Amino acid sequence: MINLLARYVNLVVLTIAALILISFSLPYLFPGDVLTNMSGIVPESEAQRAALEGVYKLNSSVFVQFWYYLNTLFSGNWGVSFSSQESLFDAVSIAFPATIELITYALLISVVVGIPLGFIGGIWHHKPFDFGVVTFSVVSYSFPVFWLALIFITIFSLQLGLLPLSGRVNLLYDVPHHSGFIIVDILVADIPHKADALYDALQHLILPTLSIAFVTTAIFVRFTRRSIMDVMEKGYIDAAKSRGFTTKQIFFKHGLRNALLPILPLMAMQISTLITNAMVVETIFSWPGIGNWLIQAIYQRDYPAIRIGMLVVSVFVVTLTFTIEFLSRAIDPARDKFERATI
Amino acid sequence: MPRFSLYQEEFHPSPFMHIWLEFKRSHFALVGLAVLLMFCGIAVLAPLMSPYDPNIQNTNAILLPPAWEGNGSISHIFGTDALGRDVFSRTLHGARTTFGSSVILVIIALLIGVALGTLAGMNKGVKSSVLNHLLDSLMAVPTLLIAIIIVAILGTGLLNSMMAIILALIPQFVHQTRSFVREEMKKDYVLLDKLDGASSARIFWKSILPSMFELLAVQSTLALSVAIIDISALGFLSLGAQVPLVELGASLSQSLEVAYSAPWLVALPGFCIFLMVLAVNIVGEGLRSALRNRLIH
Repeated sequence: MINLLARYVNLVVLTIAALILISFSLPYLFPGDVLTNMSGIVPESEAQRAALEGVYKLNSSVFVQFWYYLNTLFSGNWGVSFSSQESLFDAVSIAFPATIELITYALLISVVVGIPLGFIGGIWHHKPFDFGVVTFSVVSYSFPVFWLALIFITIFSLQLGLLPLSGRVNLLYDVPHHSGFIIVDILVADIPHKADALYDALQHLILPTLSIAFVTTAIFVRFTRRSIMDVMEKGYIDAAKSRGFTTKQIFFKHGLRNALLPILPLMAMQISTLITNAMVVETIFSWPGIGNWLIQAIYQRDYPAIRIGMLVVSVFVVTLTFTIEFLSRAIDPARDKFERATI
Repeated sequence: MPRFSLYQEEFHPSPFMHIWLEFKRSHFALVGLAVLLMFCGIAVLAPLMSPYDPNIQNTNAILLPPAWEGNGSISHIFGTDALGRDVFSRTLHGARTTFGSSVILVIIALLIGVALGTLAGMNKGVKSSVLNHLLDSLMAVPTLLIAIIIVAILGTGLLNSMMAIILALIPQFVHQTRSFVREEMKKDYVLLDKLDGASSARIFWKSILPSMFELLAVQSTLALSVAIIDISALGFLSLGAQVPLVELGASLSQSLEVAYSAPWLVALPGFCIFLMVLAVNIVGEGLRSALRNRLIH
């Protein structure tokens, strides 16, 4: 166990080190002035350029520069955005929770809907209901997420006028920024019409969450269905049957638990898909998350923002992926080495 | 000398024939295959099939609805867009770009991935371990993020977005190949080859690669559906194919401004992408269940 933990910690640290190294080298690779790419400031005079070069240690060796970069990174002094000149650290700390909130709800919906559907399909496989489940999963897996979001907007916002088109919460409600999670912020905030604000925020959440959850649910359904079908063919299920357990006992005590085991590593694999979908959906719904922020940054060629955004998102994804993989191996030591699952 | 067969009535299909026999038992899979072949045909023949040049602007017919609507015209079957370009021709050319580039990039990713995966699977120790961890971390970085970095360095364009998606797809191929090769290397027929004095290259070409074909076919269909969605998503965000080149995702995002007055401009390219991915997924699903059934029988 300790050994396993050490291996995973080692893996995470090495990967993050590699990512930091990549992000360190990016300003040299981006087109334009290295100094501007690093700091986000266009030097107006020679004196200012010299001063900035002194700050970023551009005259020293690469190792000194890297050491300095590490220091600034860990002290939270990430420079300023090229286009808006605001601190990148503040921008990220506002944008990132919004994305995390969105993908958390999407993941929650996919787990709550996808896993039971997959189970029922797997238990009754090759029956009409299972046929419906498989059709649903193949069809919804094939939806391009941006088109799905546009369809939702057309139906629910434009035609029926039920749900808001974009944003996070109506501007009428002035929600102070605490944690960055809009639901939490509204709940702890001391504002009038709290219930209305909450209702409004939930309405804003529905369409983006559903668009992301649609594809992820399909993947969960397919994996769960396959997993339960495999488990029900195992010898210990036959043994339980021969001992005279009822179907219900066999399913809940032997089938369900064992079938759930391979689903955790599956979650780890879906995080990067989830983030990609979330980034696309955020731009469509103007959700003020990190994906929208990064894509605006690339439109404006805001290189300092791209560099930091890339580092933050990839460190988040890598840490989360490896944590879940570690958990799944710690829970299920029987699996010698986790192999990437196939759908 | 007349040959006679003692077991004339017995039919021994080859492994490929066996897959096909299993595959065609599912009607859905056959329909999916037909649609997929149609898209292959479009990808090759789009310039011959399309009635107009996709970029020619007919200012006399702007925002013409499709032919099946009341005031549509049969000369533009799918109508025209805000600049008077024929949507049918644009859909054909867009499908050609999206589908064609996805197929090409999957093939490139497959070749690189199998090569690296075989190296990692046949070697042991530090070399293989370093490669694995490197690719694992690459696998965890979202495709769109890789694309953003590549676009930031090299600029927008179809080739650059293809490069980003290739980079994102390679780790999956490497992983599959590596674990498969590693499993096969433990088996007795490989041991037999080794005892016969076969070199590693020969073991790979003659023994392991033929049995890996099916795994690669299934993995490629998965990768192809991801590639189509990613290429069109990058086009949609205008990071992929640029203007004179027609691409489904890009033409979808260009028609967003008139989406309310001309919903078919958003519906048609989107549906085309959806149909493409659906066909690939159905064929992949059919292939997988055919392989599974073949192993059971």
